[in-house]
Amino acid sequence: MSYCPPYAPFFGFAGVASSDALREYADQTLGWPAVGAAYGTSKAGIGIAGLGQFKPELIMKSLIPVVMSGIIAVYGLVVSVLIVGGLDPSHDYPLYSGFLHLGAGLACGLTGLAAGYAIGIVGDSCVRAYVRESKVFVAMVLILIFAEVLGLYGLIVALIMNTKVTDAKCS
Amino acid sequence: MSVSSGTPPQTFEQGGVLLKLVIFSLSLGIVPIASYFASEKYIWGGNSTFAAITAIVAANIVLVAYIISSLRDDQAEREAGKPPESRKDR
Repeated sequence: MSYCPPYAPFFGFAGVASSDALREYADQTLGWPAVGAAYGTSKAGIGIAGLGQFKPELIMKSLIPVVMSGIIAVYGLVVSVLIVGGLDPSHDYPLYSGFLHLGAGLACGLTGLAAGYAIGIVGDSCVRAYVRESKVFVAMVLILIFAEVLGLYGLIVALIMNTKVTDAKCS
Repeated sequence: MSVSSGTPPQTFEQGGVLLKLVIFSLSLGIVPIASYFASEKYIWGGNSTFAAITAIVAANIVLVAYIISSLRDDQAEREAGKPPESRKDR
């Protein structure tokens, strides 16, 4: 069993795909942060559409959940660019590196999914509450920041994993 | 339900809001990737991990700028004499 089987890059690219913001391909198994960001955007957007009927001047402030969902997708994009930067057909690519890249992509992707889900639900209900009570705004931003750092932690783990990929030679 | 206050200024304001949103959306897409590649090439000398951290910091700076600008918008509106948004005084 060699250290560099020919199917090793499959896992590397699977990591890229699971981390990537593949917005057009809403596949169920790929593009996790895109799914999370899409859920966050859509759920918060429902609340904003409801708020916009009564208080249109608050729309700029209530778009903050949507912007934060976009940031989650940006996290996935950055990790996928990072992983792709380490893939090079002229160098050896052991299965170890393939699994590392897959793990990094999944770490960022699944936490992005979770963070987007949280941002969506919180954004929706807080934006609806903001119509009636403007002091909810500070609480909303705080909760959204805490939901967003979930995605940030996944990104940090992905970065740490990616630094372990060495130029290992196939024995 | 109650009609929103000040409908004539609303139509002009929509243009400003839309422009601001477009600028922020574009910068949210362009700034992180641009800062990743630029910092990887010129600042960190090829170290991609630091470049990724730079990109994340740039994306969060765009987010904070959006929050600050939306708060300042709100304050400008309040000083213009519109009724405050908190609960019904009417």
